[in-house]
Amino acid sequence: MPNTKDIQRRIKSINSTKKITKAMEMVAATKMRRAIEAVFKTRTYANLSWETVLNLSESLSENGESFHPLLSKKNGVNKTAMIVITSNRGLCGGFNSSIIKKAHESIQLHEAKQNRGVDIIAVGKKAIDMYKYYGYHIEANFPKADVAYKVSDISPVAKIVLDEFLNKKYDKTVVAYTDFINGSKQIPRVKQLLPVDLFGEDEYFGIMGQDSRVGIDKDFIEEKRDKHGVSSGERGKYEFEPSPQEVLDEMIPRLIEVQLFQALLESNASEHSARMASMHQATDAAKDMVEELTLYYNKARQATITSEISEISAGANALQEE
Amino acid sequence: MNNKTIKFEIATPERQVLKEEIIQVSLPTKQGEITILPGHIPLVAILDTGVIGITKKDGYHDILSLSGGFVEVLKRKVVILADIAERAEEIDVEKARDAKERAKEGIKDIRQSDKERFAEINAKIAKELTRTKAVKRWQNINR
Repeated sequence: MPNTKDIQRRIKSINSTKKITKAMEMVAATKMRRAIEAVFKTRTYANLSWETVLNLSESLSENGESFHPLLSKKNGVNKTAMIVITSNRGLCGGFNSSIIKKAHESIQLHEAKQNRGVDIIAVGKKAIDMYKYYGYHIEANFPKADVAYKVSDISPVAKIVLDEFLNKKYDKTVVAYTDFINGSKQIPRVKQLLPVDLFGEDEYFGIMGQDSRVGIDKDFIEEKRDKHGVSSGERGKYEFEPSPQEVLDEMIPRLIEVQLFQALLESNASEHSARMASMHQATDAAKDMVEELTLYYNKARQATITSEISEISAGANALQEE
Repeated sequence: MNNKTIKFEIATPERQVLKEEIIQVSLPTKQGEITILPGHIPLVAILDTGVIGITKKDGYHDILSLSGGFVEVLKRKVVILADIAERAEEIDVEKARDAKERAKEGIKDIRQSDKERFAEINAKIAKELTRTKAVKRWQNINR
């Protein structure tokens, strides 16, 4: 029979753990609300701009000449940069492990087969695990803002990505992020940023915030385009004002930045919802445990009293019999 | 239904400002104002600070103020990715005028010293001026 004092001590410690997880849940809930607000605000812009860039890339590549280095596919460099967006801290359920696993799988599926080297650009502390578990080379590690508001929060990452791509260090850049579908559903995704390419792997298309049931692939984009009334005969006939070079020079870096920013926002919203959910679970588990232990405690207490009474009455009986 | 309409969408990084079926739209591009009617050839252009005028399907006009961005024109769709955009009816005239005045005050002090800051404030004046202009045009057509 366990000592009642021990049980009491355990109940106390679990109760204080419960208080902490409850507090963390509430903090995560507040951050989540703000992060979700931010995600929805910019999602329209990010998706519209991504469609525009994809449309452009296709129309230009059909012209046979690519007007812009950021749109053109390069051969022979064979190195991919992967931006992995994770959280800074743990205690958020499977959030980090699922994004890291997804990133690893994607590398295995598309890059390793072609013997391509992969450098990881880590955003958030936990992305270092890409090195710890799988041994990928970490090229750079950026701190992540817990709640991001401005595009400038991500612009250093965007700059490094654009510069290295133009320097021909990498011939492909992808970003691994967690797409926020709703409060209880987040999907890890990998999306190709550079070169902007409509003929890439299906998996690499990302219209953000779509349910996984809506397949995002070439058909989806094709369908969208048909809806907007650009028939196939008209592709590749964009007019540019003032000139293609100028428009693309200004437009594409900015839109890439917006895409990265959106990926960061989606990841943030996902992280905070994941943390809120797992902290909620932890609080519930603590509650159950306290209830169970209280039951034990009472049983143990009663058992002691019973045995004491029986001892006393046995003693009294023995006295009477004398 | 008149089938000669354009799907018009304008979004800023902060929000989606407007999504409408329209008949025509006038835009300030870097090279001057253009008007887009249904069936326009596909076009991509850099936008300047200025006033956007649209005619909706039901014949009503709407005015927006815009500063910076891009436009993508497809046959039946116009997408504006604006840096900043506001509908005229949302703009507070008094505030816009005050902001412009403040910016003008600011420019006196730093005209000489700091080129970058000078450009920044000039852009701000242009923006506030556009907002006032947008409201004026809005008031004119709704009188």
